[in-house]
Amino acid sequence: MPRDANAVDFWRGFALVSIFINHVPGIYYERFTHRNLSFSDSAELFVFLAGWSLGLLVYGSSKGKGGAAALTFRLGGRSLQIYTAHIFISGLALAMLAGAAYLTDTPPILEWHNAAAYFQDPARTQLGIVLLTHQLGYFDILPLYVVLMLIAPAFVIMDRFAPGLLLPLSLGLYFTALIVKFTAPTWPVEGEWFFNPFTWQAIFVLGFVLSRDQGLGHLVRSNITRIRQVALPIVILAAIVVWFELYPDPTRFPEPKMLFLHGKSFLTPVRLLQFLALAAVFSAVYATIARWLPWLTEPLSMLGRNSLYVFCVASLLSLSGQIIRFLYSGSMAVDTIVVVVGIGLLCLTAWLAEWRQRLGSHG
Amino acid sequence: MANRKHRSRLSAALLATGLILASVGVAAQAEVAPPVVSKECGEPGIADRPLPNSATALQQRKRIKILAIGASSTAVLGMGRNGSPLLERILERTVKGLDVEIINRGFSGELADAAGERIRIEVALNQPDIVLWQVGTNDAFAQVSVADFEASVVNTVRWLKEHNVDVILVGLQYAKSLAKDAHYQAIRMSLRRVALAENVLRIGRYESMEVLARTMASDSGRPELEDFGLTEAGFNCMAQYIARTITVGIFAKPPKHTPAPEPGK
Repeated sequence: MPRDANAVDFWRGFALVSIFINHVPGIYYERFTHRNLSFSDSAELFVFLAGWSLGLLVYGSSKGKGGAAALTFRLGGRSLQIYTAHIFISGLALAMLAGAAYLTDTPPILEWHNAAAYFQDPARTQLGIVLLTHQLGYFDILPLYVVLMLIAPAFVIMDRFAPGLLLPLSLGLYFTALIVKFTAPTWPVEGEWFFNPFTWQAIFVLGFVLSRDQGLGHLVRSNITRIRQVALPIVILAAIVVWFELYPDPTRFPEPKMLFLHGKSFLTPVRLLQFLALAAVFSAVYATIARWLPWLTEPLSMLGRNSLYVFCVASLLSLSGQIIRFLYSGSMAVDTIVVVVGIGLLCLTAWLAEWRQRLGSHG
Repeated sequence: MANRKHRSRLSAALLATGLILASVGVAAQAEVAPPVVSKECGEPGIADRPLPNSATALQQRKRIKILAIGASSTAVLGMGRNGSPLLERILERTVKGLDVEIINRGFSGELADAAGERIRIEVALNQPDIVLWQVGTNDAFAQVSVADFEASVVNTVRWLKEHNVDVILVGLQYAKSLAKDAHYQAIRMSLRRVALAENVLRIGRYESMEVLARTMASDSGRPELEDFGLTEAGFNCMAQYIARTITVGIFAKPPKHTPAPEPGK
């Protein structure tokens, strides 16, 4: 039986819907997602909750019990599952682009989403896709997730044997990557991963550490009211800065500039801090939403419970949405149909996944 | 007092020597012939405009840094099968001793507004001499209004100029099927207007590929060549056009300001 609606699944479902909408650039409804009033966006929420879910898996359920070998095997399997899903949807996305280009006689579509390299130099680019060194635009968060799940056993083992060491090491790597400016390279097109795994691991580890009732997690829970009092002004200030475009000229910051910039690829401190403040403030509202808007918490939690399937379908639906908007000249009506049908299909995907699980448990 | 006078004479002499050496350097560099564009690419029809900041960088450190940003870096830089992009190889072959560093931060699907934000961050981090910005196609496909698109591009171009960074705008892609797409053409014209009004270089990718299509069709003896056959040849031609434009821009004298055409013309 699927678990009941809860805050983690709800916010993960919320992040999935936001990602689906934000990945259709230019769509009318993108102006209503929270990134318009925030430094951070759904990507931070998604990765933070992935770390939180790892914590729940390891410390909150019987599945996480067992030795290091069992844990490595289990998390490695999950990483392989995400990798397979990524390769599958990347292949489908390339086919969708090729189909759209041929059917509409519009070759420029072959250049969308970093696909030009694939169609011009398929041998090397195919290799790059399999090695995760070539990523299609908007299909670049799963490679980060694959890497994080691959190294997750190391996080968990370190947390078991030296619980005070994990977060300092993670933050040490985070700040080193920011100051030295290193990231994972891409190939065959020279460039960088959109999501720098060396910095984004920090938010994953923070999610993992904060999910626990001991250590930092306990400290935060014990002082959550005071933390929210500090966090709320940060959230409001960030909203004002983003809305009125008040962020200072990035060239005026002192070195190392990366510590002061507002950049997504490196998950700069300003984004990370604002995200943590946002999480502290909004963690208070789930109970109210669940009480007054159960019609919202149930479907979003269902999406969150089946996040990998839903994420894959959402990525392909976002691409479909872009093609549809190109073909039918995005208007309010077209955009509404794209969003309503898209969210409907995401819910259907999650429902089918749970229906299949139920059939499996009965059979 | 006498010491100060002596020092100022020495400074003047040093300055004069420096200026002479610099002029000799410029004269030597001015002998650089721009790279020849392949016959099949045709005449790109790009107005020559100076790239003053890159010229200074070249004089000072024999090195230029190019930040490539926008929809399809592969299409703009030329895909290098031997590692470095085709554009980098052409430039280094053309200007002896020149070290070209290309920083590729292409992100597909990005609209002009979001790219503008990323350009600011990348400029702060990398201090490029030239920003090569492929812009317009995504905005046209995403049905961004002409006014919003134009405002985003103008805003970013002006910011780059204020920060002493040369700008080369690379325009929209070509396809026969897009010739009658009113919004696509409106965005294309808008970019042209911005380039003229802001006096920055624009590589007319659409026009260039249109020429290439005609050349290839005529060479093949087929009146209508499929657009799909153009892609690889188009990428190579783009790298050649851009290399030529940069070389000419580095050694060009500033032209008189050209007034922007009226909207819609």
